[in-house]
Amino acid sequence: MREPNASWKLLTLAAILPVLVLVTINISIGDSSHPESFKRFGNALLTSYVLMGVVLLGNLFFYADSRHRPFAPLVGMLVAIGIGVLISWALVSNDDLLLEANSGLRSQMLSNIVHLLVSTAAMLLAALLAFGATFAMITGRERRVLFEEEE
Amino acid sequence: MFINRDGAVRSMESMLMAAIWFWIPLLLVPIGAWLNLSGRAKKSGLFLSLVCFVLVLISSWTVPSSDSTAAGHLLLSILAPSLLMAYGIHGMVFGGNVPVGKLDSSARWSGFLAVVISLTIFCLMHWYTLTPLWRNDEVNPYWIVFWPTFLLFATSLCSASALALVGFGDDRLVEAIKLAGLSVLMAGIALSGMLFDGYLTTAEEFSDYIWLSAADILGTVVGVSLAIGAFAIVIWSYEKSLPPPMNSLPPTEDEIKHVVAIAKSHIGGEEE
Repeated sequence: MREPNASWKLLTLAAILPVLVLVTINISIGDSSHPESFKRFGNALLTSYVLMGVVLLGNLFFYADSRHRPFAPLVGMLVAIGIGVLISWALVSNDDLLLEANSGLRSQMLSNIVHLLVSTAAMLLAALLAFGATFAMITGRERRVLFEEEE
Repeated sequence: MFINRDGAVRSMESMLMAAIWFWIPLLLVPIGAWLNLSGRAKKSGLFLSLVCFVLVLISSWTVPSSDSTAAGHLLLSILAPSLLMAYGIHGMVFGGNVPVGKLDSSARWSGFLAVVISLTIFCLMHWYTLTPLWRNDEVNPYWIVFWPTFLLFATSLCSASALALVGFGDDRLVEAIKLAGLSVLMAGIALSGMLFDGYLTTAEEFSDYIWLSAADILGTVVGVSLAIGAFAIVIWSYEKSLPPPMNSLPPTEDEIKHVVAIAKSHIGGEEE
C-alpha cells in the first residue's frame, strides 16, 4: 500500500485557502474588515465551547455506565463548562468587549445561542453537500477489476 | 407608575411565551435525540424531538413578539431546499457502485438534478423574490447569516475533500477535479454575492457578512475543538488516577482440563 500524499496540515490549508482567497478578494474590492468580526469570533468561540461542553456532559452518562458511575469526571466537566460561562459573562458584561447590537448580557447570550443554531445549520448543510458529493464521486466511477480471477 | 407596571407585566408575559413556545422546545430537541440514541426511550425520544422541532419551526407564528423566533422562521424557509438536497445526495451516492442499498442507476441523474435545483432555489432566495421575509416584509435577519456561512463552509470542505481524494486515494484525479470544480462554483456564488445586489440585501451587506461568517466558522471550530480537548483532559486525568487493574489468578487444573476438552471438541475433520 502506498504512502498517502496528503497530510492533515495540507488538508487544513486546503480548507482555509478558499476562505482566505474570498476574504482577500473582498478586501481588494474595497471592503475593509468588519469592525464586529472579533466580537463575532469571540462570541462564536465561547458559545460553541459551552454548548458542546453540555453535549459532552450528556455523553459522560454513557461513560459512567461502564465505570461504576464515578462522580469526578462529571464535576471536572461541569467546572470546564463553568469556566466557559464565567469567561463569557465577564467579557460580555465588560464594556464593549463582546457585546454586539444587544441590550444586555441576557439578550446577548440568547442571541448567541440562536446565532449558533443558524450557523450550525448552515455548516451541517454545507457538510452534507461536500461529503455527499465526495461519496457520490467515489461510488460514481466504474468498478475496477483488481485481479483477472474476479471476471 | 401603572404604565411601567403594565409594561413590565407585558414584557414578562412575552418572555414566558417565548420560553414556552421557543426556548423549551429548542432545549427538548437535543434531549429527545439523546433519549432516542441512548436507547432508553427510543420512540418517545424521537417523538419528543420531532414535535419540539416542529414547535421551533412554527415559533414565528406562536410567539411573533420574540426576535429569536426569526431563527425558527429561517429554518422553516430553508427546510424544503435542504430536504431536496439531502434527497439528491442520497440518490447520487446510492445510485453508484455500492455493495448494499443500491438504487437504480437513473437515481444518480435525478439526484444530481435535485442538488442543482436545490442550489438554484438557494440562489433565488438571495437574488429573486424567494427571499425569506419576516415582520413587515423585511428580510429575515438570519438569512444573511446562513447564506454566506453555507457558501464559505461548503467551499472549504469541498476543497479539502478534493485534496483528500487525490492524496489518500489511488487514481482519483478526475473525481478530485470535479470536487474542486464544486468548490470553485460555491466560491463563485459567494463572489457574485459580493459583486451583485440581492433582492433585498446589498452586495455591501453581503461583503460585511463574509467577514462575520468567516469569524463565525473559525470561532465555532475552535470552540468545539476546545470543548473536546477539555472533555479528553477530564477523562484522561480520571483514568490516570485509577489504580492499575489487579492481575487475575492463574487457571486451576480443572479449568485447564475444561478448556482443553472444549478445544478438542472443536478440532477434527478431514485433511485437505
